[in-house]
Amino acid sequence: MTESPRIDPMRVAIGCVLAWAVPGAGHFYLGRRVKGLLFLGIILATFVVGLAFNGRVYLANPEQPLSYLATFANVALGPLDMIGRQVSYDRLIYFFPRESDRTLYQDILDKTRARILSVTHEYGTTFVLTAGLMNILLILDAFDLGIGRKT
Amino acid sequence: MESHFLIMCLFSGLVGTFFATLTRDTLREGARAGALLALTMVGVSLIIAYVMYFLPLGG
Repeated sequence: MTESPRIDPMRVAIGCVLAWAVPGAGHFYLGRRVKGLLFLGIILATFVVGLAFNGRVYLANPEQPLSYLATFANVALGPLDMIGRQVSYDRLIYFFPRESDRTLYQDILDKTRARILSVTHEYGTTFVLTAGLMNILLILDAFDLGIGRKT
Repeated sequence: MESHFLIMCLFSGLVGTFFATLTRDTLREGARAGALLALTMVGVSLIIAYVMYFLPLGG
């Protein structure tokens, strides 16, 4: 009878948190150094190109339930998402402001409109969203590596 | 860059490279899988775009 290798929960947790915080860092930590660096390059390139194309990160809006999923995908990029929010809205904001908050509401609308006017806005937003979705896959892959499901 | 086609190629290249790196372990296998995926994405997009050309624009 073969014994299954011991799983170190702390190693798995650190791998997953690192994968969230810096794309590819989870793989790097778990011994897949070349893959980790490649993932960092690919996701960083996708994210930067997205912002350069005037893409924006999503804001959760109760009137548009799907916006929660898109915001979740953006947040999966870790600190990169904060940079995206700063670039898109000049502040760290995660929820679409209520109309009663006139100043903030108008400011967010103006910043969103300014980006939407760009021809490449939809493409850019898709690039940024895809970068987040790819990082979710990386976190799950780092988990599989950590528990030995994937070698 | 405002060329829709070039943006699509760039997107396909990045996504193809990502999935090739994720699912393959050797450079040779990865390059083949990435190229196949990227070309498939571009090809299928062009076919869909061609079919949509004949659809009425509404109104």
